Amino acid sequence: MSPVGIQNLEGHPEFDVTWPWTRPGGLRPGATAVLRVKDEARSLPWVLPPLLRATDHVLVVDNGSTDGTAEVTAETAEKAGLAHKLTQATYPFQVARAGAEHLAQPERSVHSLSYFYNWCFAQVQTRYSWKWDGDMVLTTEGEVSIGDLGWQVGDVQTIIRVPRHGLYLESESKGYLDLGLRNAEEWGFPIGPDFVFAKAYEWEIRTTPDPVRSIGLPHGLCVELKYLDGDEFAHWTDPASFATSYRNKRKRREWTVYNALLEGTVLPGVHEITAPDGAHIVDHVTQEWLPRAPRPLEVGLPELAPGSPAQQALARREAAG
Amino acid sequence: MTELSLTDPTTYPRKVLFVAGAGRSGTSTMAGLMRIMGLHVPQPEVVADETNPKGFGEPRWVVDHHDRLLKEAVVQVSDSRPEAWFETGRVATREHERIATAEWLESHFRVSTELVVKDPRLGWFLGLWRVAAVRTGATPVFATMLREPSEVVGSKQTYYANRLGSAHLAASWLNMMLHTERGTRESVADGGRVFVRYGDLLDDWVKTSMHVAETLQLQHVLHADSEQIREGHRFVDPGLRRMSQTLADLNLPSQLHQLTAATWDELNKLADKGGDTPAVHEALDQLREAYVDLYEESAAISRSSAVAAEQRIKRQRDLVPAGPGARGADRIPHGVRAAIPPSVRRGLRKVAGRDRPQGAQ
Repeated sequence: MSPVGIQNLEGHPEFDVTWPWTRPGGLRPGATAVLRVKDEARSLPWVLPPLLRATDHVLVVDNGSTDGTAEVTAETAEKAGLAHKLTQATYPFQVARAGAEHLAQPERSVHSLSYFYNWCFAQVQTRYSWKWDGDMVLTTEGEVSIGDLGWQVGDVQTIIRVPRHGLYLESESKGYLDLGLRNAEEWGFPIGPDFVFAKAYEWEIRTTPDPVRSIGLPHGLCVELKYLDGDEFAHWTDPASFATSYRNKRKRREWTVYNALLEGTVLPGVHEITAPDGAHIVDHVTQEWLPRAPRPLEVGLPELAPGSPAQQALARREAAG
Repeated sequence: MTELSLTDPTTYPRKVLFVAGAGRSGTSTMAGLMRIMGLHVPQPEVVADETNPKGFGEPRWVVDHHDRLLKEAVVQVSDSRPEAWFETGRVATREHERIATAEWLESHFRVSTELVVKDPRLGWFLGLWRVAAVRTGATPVFATMLREPSEVVGSKQTYYANRLGSAHLAASWLNMMLHTERGTRESVADGGRVFVRYGDLLDDWVKTSMHVAETLQLQHVLHADSEQIREGHRFVDPGLRRMSQTLADLNLPSQLHQLTAATWDELNKLADKGGDTPAVHEALDQLREAYVDLYEESAAISRSSAVAAEQRIKRQRDLVPAGPGARGADRIPHGVRAAIPPSVRRGLRKVAGRDRPQGAQ
C-alpha cells in the first residue's frame, strides 16, 4: 500500500484507490455517510431522509443493483429537499460475498470486500465518516445523536459504535422488532491513514491505531430492515456457515429469528408491533415506538450474552474446530 | 390528541425553551421575561445575588447537573478548546445521563406544558436536552442571546473578577457562540430557533419577545394578559446594560480580533428578520474552521507551556507523600494497613530495616 493509495491487482487504473487526505486541499470538516448498496430500493426511502438530515453528506455507491436503486436514491433525496447533500457512484465489479468467497480473494483485488470499501471511503471529502448500510434506519433520537456527534467530533480520532436492532417487516403495518441481542458495531470512523480497510476472515475490518478512543451510543437509536418475503441472506456464500460460528453471533441471531418468524413463531426478545391506522410500520417504530419506549431499553436475552453458558459452549465448540 | 384551547394552558403542546448564549449576555433577562409571560422555570432555582440582582432564572438541578457533567468531561464553563465539544458530547451519549435528564424534564412537564431552561453551561449540552425532549414527547426550541463580545468579556471581568486574559475570554466566547450556532441548526426534533440581541431586548422587550413567541410558537407568551405585560415592564431595566466598550479596548491579538469581529457580524445577521439563511451558515462554518485552525496553531506554539504545567503537577504529586519522616507505609491508607496480618507487617518492617517504635501498639 503506497502513501497515496492502492493500485488494484486487475489493472483498472480508473478504480485505483487514491487516499482523500493526499488530495490537494485535503479534507474538510464534517461527516459523510457511506452506503454500499445492492438492490435496496425498498429500504432507501426510509434510510436516506434521516441520514441526509443528520450528516453533511451522503455517498451511495451502487454495486450491481437491478431494482432501480439509483433512481429511488435520487428521488428520495430530491423529495427530502436534500439532493445537494447526495453523491451517487457506481462500482462495477462483482464483490465477493461474505464468508468463504471473501476469504479466497486477495486484499488488493477489485473483487475483495476490503478493496471495495477502501475505494468507497476514498471518495469521502470530510474528516469523519459513517459506514452505513442500505437498510439501516435512524430513529428520531438516533438522528439527532448522529447529527450532533458529526460536528462535535471535529478532529478527535475516535470510533463511534452504534447499536442496531433487526426490524422484520411482515406488511406495511406490521413488524417484529428484535431486542433479544445486545450488539453494537463500529460505524463512525475518522478519515485518515490510521483508519483504512484490511481483510478479515468473513469480511473486511477497519484498521485502528493503538490505543484508540471509542464511544458507544445507547440502544434503541437504529433499526435494520428485514423483509420476511425477501432473501435476507443472499450476500452470504453459505448462510448455514454462521449457524455454528461464535464470531457471527448477530448473523446467527438474525437467521434464527427470521426462520422462526417464517414458521409463525415469535421468539423471546422479539416484539410484535402493529402501526396505528394510516402509519407505516417503519415510521411508527422509528418515530414513536422506540423514541418513547421506557429507558433503559430492555435489550439482550441472558442466554445471548457473551458470558452466558450457551455462548461459552459455542465458543468452545468453535475453538475445538 | 387534546385540542389546543387558547384559554387552557394544560392543552398547550409540550414545549421547552432553552435559552443559550454566553454568560452575561442577557440570558437571565430573557428567561425572567419568559417566566413572567407564563413559561415555567423548574424549581427550585438559583437565588439572586449581587452579580444578577433580578435573579438568574436557572433551575438549581440543571446547574448542578451541568457542573457534574462538565467535571466528568474535564471541560470548563469558559473553555476555548474546540475538542471540548466532543468531550461534552461524549458524556451526553451515556444512557444513564439521558435517562436522568429526561426524567427531570418529565417531572416538570407535570407542572406545566411550557418550560424555560437556562444556564450559561447549557450550550455544552444542547444535544442531551434535545434527546430528553424527544423522550418526553416535547418540542425543543432555542433562543440564543447575542451581546457584543467586548461587553461580554468586559462584564465577565467585572463581575467574576476573572483573572484570565481577555484573549482567553474572547476565544471562549468564539468557541461557545460558533458551536452553539451549529448545535441549534434545524433538526427533525426541533420547533425552531431565534437569535436575540441583548440590546434589542432592552430597547423594546415587547416587540422582541413577541418575535420570539411567534417564531417558536410559545403559547403562554402569545396569550399573555395585561398584568403579565405590566410585570414585564417592571422587570426589564434598560440600565442593565452597564458595559460599553469596543472590541478594540480588549487589545486582542490581531487574528483573534478579526475572527471575533467577523463572527459578531455574521451572528448579528441571524437576529435580523429572515436572516437565518444558508449563506450565513456557510460563512459561520468558515469562521468556525478558521477558529479551529487558529486554536490548533496556538496550541502547537504553546505546547511547551502545557508540558511544563504537566511536569509541575507531576512533581507536586510526587512530593506530597515524601514529607519529613514519611515512610512507604504512610502512603497506604490506615484501613488497608490494619487489614495486613501482624506477622506480615513484622516481616515487612524487617525487610525495610525499621524497628517498631517503643511503646507503639
